[in-house]
Amino acid sequence: MAAAPTTDTVTISINDVEIEVPKGELIVDAVKRLGLEIPIFCYHSRMKPVGMCRMCLVEVGFKQPDGSVRKMPKPQAGCTLPASEGMAVYTDTELVHKDRRGVLEFLLINHPLDCPICDRGGECPLQNNTLFYGPSTSRFIELKRHLPKAFPLSRYVTLDLERCIQCGRCVRFTEEISGDAQLAFRFRGANMQPTSFQLTEFESKFSGNVIEICPVGALTSTKYRFRARPWDLETKPAICTVCSNGCSVWFDYRVGKFVRLNGRVNEAVNEEWTCDRGKFGHDFYNSPKRLLAPALRKEDALRTANWAEAYAAILEAFEPGGNAVAALTGPMVSNESYYLLQKLFRGVFRSNNLDHRWTRHLSAASDRLESKMGMPTVATSIEAFEHKSAVLAIGTSLADEEPILFLRLRKAWFKNGTKVVVACDRDTDADSFAHLVLRYRPGTEMALAGGLLAAAVESGRATVPDPVREDLKRYSPSAAASATGVPEDRIREAADILGPNAAIVTTHRLLDVADAQGTLEYLAGLAMCLRAEFNLYALGANDQGALELGIHPELLPSGVALADAEAAAEVGRTMGIEIPREPGLGTHELLRACADGRIKALWLVGCDPFALHADRDLVQRALEGVEFLVVQDIVETEATSYASVILPMLGPAEQDGTYTNMERRVQRLRQVIPDAGDAKPAWRIFAEAMLRAQPQTPFFSAEEIMEEIARVAPAFEVARYDRLGHEGTRL
Amino acid sequence: MSELIQIGGMNERPKPPRPEDLSLRFSDRAIRELEALETHYPERKACILPALWIAQREYGGYLSGEALAEVAFRLDRSYAEIEGVATFYSMYNTAHPVGRHMIEVCTCLTCQICGAYPIAEYLKEKLGVGFGETTSDGVFTLHEVECLDACDRAPLIQVGDEYYGPVDKAYLDNLLDRLRSEAASSVVKLADEIVQVHLRETERDR
Repeated sequence: MAAAPTTDTVTISINDVEIEVPKGELIVDAVKRLGLEIPIFCYHSRMKPVGMCRMCLVEVGFKQPDGSVRKMPKPQAGCTLPASEGMAVYTDTELVHKDRRGVLEFLLINHPLDCPICDRGGECPLQNNTLFYGPSTSRFIELKRHLPKAFPLSRYVTLDLERCIQCGRCVRFTEEISGDAQLAFRFRGANMQPTSFQLTEFESKFSGNVIEICPVGALTSTKYRFRARPWDLETKPAICTVCSNGCSVWFDYRVGKFVRLNGRVNEAVNEEWTCDRGKFGHDFYNSPKRLLAPALRKEDALRTANWAEAYAAILEAFEPGGNAVAALTGPMVSNESYYLLQKLFRGVFRSNNLDHRWTRHLSAASDRLESKMGMPTVATSIEAFEHKSAVLAIGTSLADEEPILFLRLRKAWFKNGTKVVVACDRDTDADSFAHLVLRYRPGTEMALAGGLLAAAVESGRATVPDPVREDLKRYSPSAAASATGVPEDRIREAADILGPNAAIVTTHRLLDVADAQGTLEYLAGLAMCLRAEFNLYALGANDQGALELGIHPELLPSGVALADAEAAAEVGRTMGIEIPREPGLGTHELLRACADGRIKALWLVGCDPFALHADRDLVQRALEGVEFLVVQDIVETEATSYASVILPMLGPAEQDGTYTNMERRVQRLRQVIPDAGDAKPAWRIFAEAMLRAQPQTPFFSAEEIMEEIARVAPAFEVARYDRLGHEGTRL
Repeated sequence: MSELIQIGGMNERPKPPRPEDLSLRFSDRAIRELEALETHYPERKACILPALWIAQREYGGYLSGEALAEVAFRLDRSYAEIEGVATFYSMYNTAHPVGRHMIEVCTCLTCQICGAYPIAEYLKEKLGVGFGETTSDGVFTLHEVECLDACDRAPLIQVGDEYYGPVDKAYLDNLLDRLRSEAASSVVKLADEIVQVHLRETERDR
């Protein structure tokens, strides 16, 4: 449909070398085609150029008919100069070098040169440019200006005004990328300061990015300030596991301890941005509450034990198996670990009591949109949102739940004019660029979804089967309007905007509302009728992986339903186990069964039910009611005090593994920091438990497990470690 | 910006005001003027400068944080952007509340040659304030300004929308007495004049 864009090219010469470049490409980018570099401060390829710092000055001329080049009398800023036919650019002349020296000398006049104590020292563009292009001495002998050195803009960002070179990158980031425009330049000239309104808190959800894009040490991370020298840090690529976006990041660590996290370029996912939740959300690696050794309850106290004792106790409690044992998982566990957990439970303990879901509504296997309507629930990749003509985000505050998707959606609107319809029961950050805002009353999601579908049907753009048409009568746009409080014309307009190149976005947060199933079906139906894409995105780092790999009472790896006896048996044969026939219990039922003693042994894997489940009282009764409780986690949680056995688990960056993000992109996270204490990767814990229960060849690495996953769930064939792409691969 | 990081402290900044907490003070007339201005330009961002003049008039000559927040709210721009614009231009009074009359003394070349410095010193002594300061009774604010483009009348001072010059000490004594007796603020009057300049004849509301 979208024809390959035809690009006009122009011929320019760079240092007398002729080269063809796309018309309008900025000179600062064009010279990179020849392997040259123009020094920059304010220019950032993801933001509009402003030409503020003058670092990128080049000499420019135009070819004359006689073949000579007539240069412009003054140098030009390469970052604001688009390439045009016959342009001759010189990046290496005496004049250019003199200009660069002049600009740097000028910038350094007011720069404190406190590099020895600066966080940026060693990775600072100002230092680098001065080294390569700057003057070796300064003629400035007057007093330097003095300004606040450690002003707390927010809990995360500390401003050192003396170091600011007024490039405006941070200001433009908040205007163009995150869109909150919370930073602006106050005052002018030498007094210009990038600060927040009246010095109030800089509360952007993406504030951490300005620390990274600051070309000097003016915006520093409050948590990282003075913690390390950049050359002391070791850096490895990693994946952020705080939410389901699965951003590519650099993990910086020092003597085996996590220190900081920076964005890593992955055009398909996060481009280069991070959100604050992710950037500052990895403290648990250094938490004083880290679990470092197994512990066993003897009499009334938890005592440190060794792994053999812990396994023996666990197997004794779980071996009776069947319906009396169960496991619940959290979101920060790798695909390999999820797979082995379900294999352990189904193969060894003969139980389907497994769940990873903590939402109020748990779709039964037969109710899932995939099986009921043949509708995939993850269709659109993050990158594809840029080219959507319209997007309906319903029941979700994207900036909080899918922050990187929020940035991508904002970019789509900013660059390509995507029409975004935001339907939520509260104010969201996406309202600021929404084409339409549908503010419905809490709890009326289903009426709105029905109203949208009914409006599409009424306008003749969608056809639905007669029973559905009958059913939709109760949600005619006017009825939906009175139920939801959204004006009728807005409902109609929203339905009109959606079409074949549109996407509907919602998250698992929608499963917490009343009538979640009906809402989802209407939305999926709306997408189906209009040939739009429907997406129900996961929220936890690897929730999607848990679902695909059978951490579900009724689903086996690769989404095979337990009810489908033949297919289930086939999956069992591939796994080399016999699948128990009886379906397991979903989270809520399971906790109730724990509370009234039907389940004797419960295994919590990387989850604190107190934090994840809405009903605290039920959780408490369940954890008290169950006879034997295994709490396997990274840090101490509220649940650990109820444990019979505590198993310390390694964090995602301390082990090898893959994670499936919201768009079903499997990305590998190699071990970055060394093992903490006696803790083990989750998959190794399950492998060792299996080995103790049944003699077999154990898995020795996560890679071996992925080989087996690929056999059991063919979608994961692309995720085998030898095939997995550098930026991950979508299933 | 005196509240530097405190080790062990919470280092929490006050939150920016939420829209529902703003105490909006624009009069009906100001709102009408703003609505008229919005029709002049393709986008509301272009209204920032005249809207700040309206705010300077409505808030008695001083653009406080609340005034800036109200402009931001009414134009649907971010607070920081409005503050950035207001603090860029020296004729918006954003530093501190100003007196009823702002005396601006030109000290550029021509005025200097014709004796601007003795004039300035005399004013400082008589009012008991330095440049950029306001008298304790809140009547006068003294400012040093660059060329006012009326060198033929040097030494020159500006008060509100009026130029006075050439001035000498006796002239100033008279002028100060007269200004002190005037109850209306010439700062607000200047702001209003500028707002009216932005409006079309039919939109003016006098």
